[in-house]
Amino acid sequence: MTNLSPAGLTPRPDLRPSASGGHLGRRLRALVLSDYFVLYLSLACFLILVPFLPTLSTPGNLTNLMSNMWPLLVVAVGQTFVLTIAGIDLSQGAVMGLTSVAAATLTATTAPASVLDTAPIWGSLLTEQGGLLAGNPWATPIAIAVMLALAVAIGLFNGLAVAKLAMPPFMVTLVTMIAVGAFAIWLTQSNNIRELPESFVALGKGDIVSVWFGPKLEAQLPRKQIYPFVTWPMVIALATAVIAHLMLNRTVFGRWVFAIGINRKAAEISGVPVVRVIVAVFVISAVCAAIASILYTGRLETGRPTLGGGNFLLDVIGATVIGGTSLFGGKAKILWTFFGVLFWVLLSNALNLMNLSAFHVDMVKGVVILLAALLDVTRTRLARAAT
Amino acid sequence: MTSLRLLAAGTLLAGTSLAGAASAATVCFSFVDLESQFWVAGHQAITEALTEAGHTIIERNANEDANRQLEQVRDCLAQNVDGIILIPQDGETATTIVAEAQEADTPIAVFNRPPSDLSKGIIVVADNATIAGKAVDDVIGKAIAAKPEGKLNAIIVVGDLGDPNAVGRKEGFYASIEKHKDRFNVTEVASNWDAATALSNLEAAVTANPQVDLLFTSSDFLWPTIRSVFEPRGLWKKTGEDGHVWMAGLDGDATACQLIKEGFVDATGVQDLGFEADQSLKAILAAIDAGEAQPNQVIPDPGFALTTEELPTREMDMWGCVLLSQGFLKNKS
Repeated sequence: MTNLSPAGLTPRPDLRPSASGGHLGRRLRALVLSDYFVLYLSLACFLILVPFLPTLSTPGNLTNLMSNMWPLLVVAVGQTFVLTIAGIDLSQGAVMGLTSVAAATLTATTAPASVLDTAPIWGSLLTEQGGLLAGNPWATPIAIAVMLALAVAIGLFNGLAVAKLAMPPFMVTLVTMIAVGAFAIWLTQSNNIRELPESFVALGKGDIVSVWFGPKLEAQLPRKQIYPFVTWPMVIALATAVIAHLMLNRTVFGRWVFAIGINRKAAEISGVPVVRVIVAVFVISAVCAAIASILYTGRLETGRPTLGGGNFLLDVIGATVIGGTSLFGGKAKILWTFFGVLFWVLLSNALNLMNLSAFHVDMVKGVVILLAALLDVTRTRLARAAT
Repeated sequence: MTSLRLLAAGTLLAGTSLAGAASAATVCFSFVDLESQFWVAGHQAITEALTEAGHTIIERNANEDANRQLEQVRDCLAQNVDGIILIPQDGETATTIVAEAQEADTPIAVFNRPPSDLSKGIIVVADNATIAGKAVDDVIGKAIAAKPEGKLNAIIVVGDLGDPNAVGRKEGFYASIEKHKDRFNVTEVASNWDAATALSNLEAAVTANPQVDLLFTSSDFLWPTIRSVFEPRGLWKKTGEDGHVWMAGLDGDATACQLIKEGFVDATGVQDLGFEADQSLKAILAAIDAGEAQPNQVIPDPGFALTTEELPTREMDMWGCVLLSQGFLKNKS
């Protein structure tokens, strides 16, 4: 166990013995195996596309790129843990929907009877005067605590079903996705809850530091020219990613996660508390989904039972796998996920700027995931050949 | 198909002169799907009119994803578009996106599906409650005339109540029912603007109570779904046939027009698609021309109800009948 690389099977290129082949071949192999490969890929794409899509490099667009990146990063971080143990969590979107509704139900300052009076929560948890905590200064922190508690409960269910009952993660989380998603929709009868308090909305779109470029010619700068730079979503997402990185790559717990992903039987024999680790991993995944739900609910200013629906999982798993996390388990880094999310968001943004339809965008994304999976196979082969 | 839609779009906006309404502008057109005939015709009318008037149009289809729609509109804002025309996922998304656009000093018009907050942005919206009420009044009168005594069973197929259009249509239905509340038992069937959801819920409702006297669907795009549930149960009958269910809808699409002609449907509330598209374009281009960054205006579409009796005289006032006359449904099949 102690010799296990933090990133599972992938040895660092600089420690790897020189492989056969020419200088260029070695360089190329080192590049493909580098931790920063997807970052280089993102930068290359950006530089190649900028002459054709000048908007790509404008401050406004870069702000959008970052804004789109942070919530997706948080969900992808949670999925990274699950993929590392060779699992998958399909229920993240449903967790987002349920926690979004829960937060809005507690914190909404008003609610229209014309829209919500058929909802089961109407009259008890939600009225025209708002949610249970409407007007309470602690509404936002309490709502966040409830969101996290709900996520922990769902993660516990997933983890226990996978670890104790030896059920396939795909099946367990598929069932959770359907049941929890339907429950969220039933709670509000598919309606959205608006009028969230400012303190909650700020978590999804609030700026901490804003910037402008160019000379200040007028006393009052046009709002168009002021760009958010450091935002609450950025702080929350980066904090989540750093904590996850430390857990996965710098602790014994992280090594246990990799050990289970590489070979569960061997990990059990080696004394790894497999059940506890698997349960913890699914809890982490659900909690990350709940944190992302805070960010998405805040930016949309609405509690939405369908949050995380549609093709959202495509984005999460696509970004994680592109980063280099293996679908077969035992190989992952949060840094890779960060780069994967960056590439994914850049790809979506560039495809949008090319004025492609939503259908073409999704088709291209599907092809990119396929290429990423092929690249994963290639990298694994190259790594094995080198070791 | 394409040529028919182009022709239809041209017909719907006939008489609209956008050339010269504003110097060549770049307009972002954000919508969420093209599932129903109304959205297809609306989309075509807007894009054709803008292109023909020499404006550049950036289209964004969010594929029914509110978060994606927000991101796409932000992408448009990053491209410094001159204005935005929005068909939002729902009223809440519309409110958030309108605020986002106005924060970026970009005029925005919301087409047909209004924000929950009507005070911001250019909002072109049908008076859903009144239009629905007119159509429902007609079928209630016919149903009571056919069965003067005893209770009648009515079904309303409700839309997604996050959409103010669906709320208005439901209110219009109940306002009409309220006038004869001692005569009707009402069953609500949720559709969430989704044919599959409507199918399963309507099947459950009709299985629980097979006696149906009247039905109102909040959107005409659900007629094929309703037919697939009613036909095997012997409820899909023409006017005058034994067991006919008095039926009304809202939108005024080609399917509704066809069904009124055939005698299966008795009335439909019609949104004036041409008027709405025309007003959206004129208002957004006028705001761009005037340099107005945050125009706020509500433009109501009074609409009307088309009944079996009025069909011979008002047929061509209904956009769906215009499409039908151009072979829309023949081409589809």
